[in-house]
Amino acid sequence: MDFDIIFGNAARAALGPEAIILALAAIGLNIHFGYTGLLNFGQVGFIMLGAYGTSVTVATFGWSLWAGIPIGLFLALALAVTLGIPTLRLHAVMFAIATIAAAEIIRILIGSTDAIGLTGGPLSVSFDAGAFFDLNPYADGPQDRYGVGTFAFTGQQMWVITVGWVLVALVSLFVFLIVRSPWGRVLKSIREDQDAARSLGKNVFWYKMQALMIGGVIGGMAGVIDAIKTSGADPNGFRPQVTFYTYTALLLGGAATYLGPVLGAILFWFLREWIESFLRQLSAEAWLPNAVADFLEGSEGIISVAMVGLALVLLMLFRPQGITGNRTEMQLDAR
Amino acid sequence: MPADRPPPEGPSAPEDRSMLVDSARRTTEVEPILTVHPEPGVAKPNPILTMDGLQRSFGGLTAVDVDHLEIERGIVTALIGPNGAGKTTLFNLITGFDRADSGRWEFNGQMVTSPSPDRLARRGMVRTFQLTKSLAKLSVLQNMLLGAPNQVGERLWAAPFRHLWRNQERANTERADELLEQFNLSHMRDELAGTLSGGQRKLLEMARALMSDPALVMLDEPMAGVNPALAQSLLGHITELALSGVSVVYIEHDMDVVSGISDWVVVLAQGQVIAEGGPWKVIHDEVVIDAYLGRRRAGTAS
Repeated sequence: MDFDIIFGNAARAALGPEAIILALAAIGLNIHFGYTGLLNFGQVGFIMLGAYGTSVTVATFGWSLWAGIPIGLFLALALAVTLGIPTLRLHAVMFAIATIAAAEIIRILIGSTDAIGLTGGPLSVSFDAGAFFDLNPYADGPQDRYGVGTFAFTGQQMWVITVGWVLVALVSLFVFLIVRSPWGRVLKSIREDQDAARSLGKNVFWYKMQALMIGGVIGGMAGVIDAIKTSGADPNGFRPQVTFYTYTALLLGGAATYLGPVLGAILFWFLREWIESFLRQLSAEAWLPNAVADFLEGSEGIISVAMVGLALVLLMLFRPQGITGNRTEMQLDAR
Repeated sequence: MPADRPPPEGPSAPEDRSMLVDSARRTTEVEPILTVHPEPGVAKPNPILTMDGLQRSFGGLTAVDVDHLEIERGIVTALIGPNGAGKTTLFNLITGFDRADSGRWEFNGQMVTSPSPDRLARRGMVRTFQLTKSLAKLSVLQNMLLGAPNQVGERLWAAPFRHLWRNQERANTERADELLEQFNLSHMRDELAGTLSGGQRKLLEMARALMSDPALVMLDEPMAGVNPALAQSLLGHITELALSGVSVVYIEHDMDVVSGISDWVVVLAQGQVIAEGGPWKVIHDEVVIDAYLGRRRAGTAS
């Protein structure tokens, strides 16, 4: 059992591109769910359009990556508008159903064999993200590593991580600025009671739409980072559980807080990778009975997701406000 | 949001914000109504709200069936009636929270063509709710600030730039503090609204409605569930509102409460206006007593 390796792996996951993608998705979802009270169960749809918009523009149409990124973000914005117009007036539950269905419809369309010519269909699409990596200031030789032990990144990864965390910081700052404003106050009033907001002269539909658009575009940014990181996109990477991981991260960190989604994403990946690495090391231990080792082998990933789920259940029971949330605020719900 | 409320007009325009208005003014406002003949649907000298043929049914039940009703400007009008008379439904229709099957109404001299609650609120018609809608996870002050109209900072493009809305926010905060002082909520200013008692929430909701300098305030059972001492102070606030030039309509079950502060009383039973007039006149009206005690069916079956 080598805990250096376990911690190294966990720290790498917690600071790596996956955590950045999850953090951006959760920041977007925080605007929807945390501040406006919109039950968006289709956040993955915005991520997917960001990723595919970027990938398809470059791979299929041969345009520049710098055109692909805004197109990806625009598609996420377009999804927010087309999804919002018919559904935002509906009851919250209906909206939730519509979002999860819309995200699945998009994934199935993108992944269908009829779409092979455009999106690669069930095969993944891949493109050359060279335009992004040309700007890489980190030395990127085959021997170059940044970090210690298993907590180390290649030069390319370092570049994605640097840009990614700067983006997370900028987006968080933007969200902080708009949420503390009177605009953010209207969002919260809609979350608390939309009829009260209406009676005070607020156009609830329009504010919800704005929230859906901003959160959706931030979700699209997560998709863009994902596309650049993997130099492509794969429909199987955008199943509904991505949305639920995003909710998990958001609730772990604390919904309706500024740093909650970022801390939650870091913690989510740290826990998940720590447990998985631990189980992998454990299954190799000689003293373990064969039956247990056989059970563990190959299922470390699934078990670790299950453990994160368990952690979320415990958190909901004992600290429902998340790590950074305010307990008294939560308790008001019970009154 | 544009300032789409028309300029105030008439002798009772809410141009004077102070609660200290000389009694002469009060007399000029209330006196005309005293000359109005007390009968259902009667025309008033200076109505702020005029309804015509307003109907709403839920299945086979006709909840509201108001042929013609005018609400006089600058006075306190009570809307009373037994349970299920359609008082709240009428409120919901007028304020745009529910859609009428037929009928039209005019507010502040303008026809209401598309009754959306937020648009009507921006035009100066603000309501409160029977089940108080204080925003629990916002502080009392934040609740108040939400009521302020035409906020630059509520527009998304201006929201990130604090200097664009800082001054307006400061002015609104001063106004909010004044109102909180008047409504005895200053000590709760920075507490979350969810921690207030039921009566305090009623006060907060009323104070919040006043943040927008409304022309017409519609209070749905402001006294319900409030202890007698607080109810007395709420009644005082309602009287002061009318003194400052705001028109007030409020719903109440209890006719004894009504007689104290109302200038005019409208009685609703089974969705119809069965009587209106000065409080003492109405309370001793035989039709009204029948409606409450159910000796015989009041009005015609609808």
